Amino acid sequence: MHLHKYEKIWMTFGIAALVVFLSIVGVSAFSHEQHTPAGGIETIDPEKVKETAPFNEPGVKQLDEDTYQATIVAMAFAYEAPELKVPVGKEVIFKLTSTDVVHSFTIDNTNVNMMVVPGQVTTKSYTFKEPGKYLILCNEYCGTGHHYMFAEIEVTEE
Amino acid sequence: MSAIAQKKGFGSALWDWLTTVDHKKIAILYLASGGFFFVVGGIEAMLIRIQLAVPDNSFLSAGLYNEILTMHGTTMIFLAAMPILFGYMNAVVPLQIGARDVAFPFLNSLGFWLFFFGGIFLNLSWFMGGAPDAGWTSYASLSLYSPGHGIDFYALGLQISGAGTYIAGINFLVTIINMRAPGMTYMRMPLFTWTTFVASALILFAFPPLTIGLFFLIFDRMFGANFFDHTMGGNTIIWEHLFWIFGHPEVYILILPAFGIFSEIFAIFSRKRLFGYSAMVFATVLIGFLGFMVWAHHMFTVGLGPTANAIFAVATMAIAVPTGVKIFNWLLTIWGGSIKVTTPMLYALGFIPSFVAGGVTGVMQAAAPLDYQLHDSYFIVAHFHYVIVGGVVLAILAGLHLYWPLMFNTMLSEKLGKITFWFFFLGFHATFFIQHFLGLMGMPRRVYTFIEGQGWDLFNFISSMGAILMAIGVIVLVINIVMTTVKNVPVGNDPWKDGRTLEWAIPQPVPFYNFKRTPLVRGLDTFWIEKQEGNKEGMSYAEPLSDIHMPNNSFIPFVMSLGLFIAAFGALYNGEKAWAVPVLVIGLGITLASMATRSLKDDHGYHIHKEDLMDHKGGNY
Repeated sequence: MHLHKYEKIWMTFGIAALVVFLSIVGVSAFSHEQHTPAGGIETIDPEKVKETAPFNEPGVKQLDEDTYQATIVAMAFAYEAPELKVPVGKEVIFKLTSTDVVHSFTIDNTNVNMMVVPGQVTTKSYTFKEPGKYLILCNEYCGTGHHYMFAEIEVTEE
Repeated sequence: MSAIAQKKGFGSALWDWLTTVDHKKIAILYLASGGFFFVVGGIEAMLIRIQLAVPDNSFLSAGLYNEILTMHGTTMIFLAAMPILFGYMNAVVPLQIGARDVAFPFLNSLGFWLFFFGGIFLNLSWFMGGAPDAGWTSYASLSLYSPGHGIDFYALGLQISGAGTYIAGINFLVTIINMRAPGMTYMRMPLFTWTTFVASALILFAFPPLTIGLFFLIFDRMFGANFFDHTMGGNTIIWEHLFWIFGHPEVYILILPAFGIFSEIFAIFSRKRLFGYSAMVFATVLIGFLGFMVWAHHMFTVGLGPTANAIFAVATMAIAVPTGVKIFNWLLTIWGGSIKVTTPMLYALGFIPSFVAGGVTGVMQAAAPLDYQLHDSYFIVAHFHYVIVGGVVLAILAGLHLYWPLMFNTMLSEKLGKITFWFFFLGFHATFFIQHFLGLMGMPRRVYTFIEGQGWDLFNFISSMGAILMAIGVIVLVINIVMTTVKNVPVGNDPWKDGRTLEWAIPQPVPFYNFKRTPLVRGLDTFWIEKQEGNKEGMSYAEPLSDIHMPNNSFIPFVMSLGLFIAAFGALYNGEKAWAVPVLVIGLGITLASMATRSLKDDHGYHIHKEDLMDHKGGNY
């Protein structure tokens, strides 16, 4: 089969790009420390959320020097978490569950976006880089009050 | 024989439509009912855009908005796009492969009536206590919580129409495998037949998960089961998996026939053989295959973990490769062709940039980390409207112009067609292009209103204005159809003058038995070959004239579907009304009795005799 010179160059380039691309995705997926799913491992009785730790005391808690845990309960159509205030530059572990339907937990301008599934505990860790007020909203359609479901998190300077 | 030429009264004409098993008439039934639902879904879309035109609007209440939103998606996918495509498949595929009908004419009719009754049942929800309101995806925990009967209508209606779709899919598979004329090898099949074949295979594997999901939902809601109820040990995420294992192939079920229509159009109006035919076939099959391995990209934020997300991200991006092959082949088909910019060609030319835009945003979303920011924002809304409207709906409108003379022996006005195109095309881009930016600015989808002063006001207003342009386009199209039908100027076969495949070779109006003698297919684009060789008749034949075996019309498919329609009301009101269980039993009884009748009563059909065939010209020309 005769191939034109440019055709050969383009095909080599295309295939090489594909190989490089797939390798990067593959390696970064498998070499990543965290192999476990972000949700679905830890379960919770959705009718006893209020009695189960840590959801019996929702809010921000300092775990150690550099780690904070924010525990939040999502329900139609609000997030139950009194005064979300975390310091900038510290790791914040968000732990969420829902008491009724599937919601989501999205912090605007960040990579935090997860479905909050009833009966399961969803976890995500994130370190805020800029202080300020961030909007939290539910983007998983959850009923007539879906558009009212939002909250705010304040990231403070140390 | 001569009965077909007689003028009929209204009653007998109606009876003929209700009982027909002729693929050409079923095509018209699909097109008409799909068109009706398309208008219904379009009106729902307009209501959505009116509500979102200005901030803090109270044109619709939140509850009603959610119902309209749900019904818009459900109607457009299940009751408009798929049936209209089935209409084209029915009208074109048997003729394209040189067959006298589909493999199972009775099932063809049954498939239509199941879809029709399912669609009617779903839409009756508007008049019987409220429509479904959990979105077209109907995620389980929300759909279990939804009060009233809306979701019950959704589950039962889709179950009935889904059965019809499944039957139609099997029918086309068997037809294309078994009914091809001599010489029509797989690698000589026109692209529309190929895409129909692959789409039917997708239906075969994609619809069972939906059926199972819907049965679980029906049993959870109406008969006290707990498949999805997390408080009783069920799992809500199972619904998402079942739905998307169906739902992702579903979009390929829609887009592949659309690709087929455009492949035909590019070849016809560039007056060139389709560039890279075998690569096109391979790409079609590959898209169909990969379509089953990507469903979890709808669920990146569920929390499946980075490994699962990475695998599904890569599989999703891989689909861009065969799709890119197709795009380049279309471009190279046009390149150097003797191009005629007719209305169908105009749609096809508009399709390429629109669909590429939709494909590019698709690859963006396939990158899981980016999807975390795009998930359920208006960016997603913009993306899927670019592929569904920019791909499927443009194909449906192009196909309407292209195949109208094949189905009705008269041509839609080219002038009005082009006016429709420009209104629709510009309106479409005005409506949806800007929604990408709304999404990037943070506007979530499925919100019934938004607060003023977030920078979304102007863009939402522009989007709504675009929707009005699209509506004007559709109104012009309706005027076009009415005017064309009233004028009814017969055009004969090959009205585009450049038809390449068998469906354009057959005399018009198409005789009810299609081919007097089964044609012999001498290559890809067989009609083109015959025309090049100066064959006035346009066909070579594979057999001498002989008797033709035809199926009898049957009213059983209608009754069978009606039974399920009645039974659905029984299921819906189970545990609420005293008459529910009897109605359920009676409805299922009607269906089972008609099935028994069909099985026990022999129906051998009839023969058209050779002598009668010789007199019958079949067509006006």
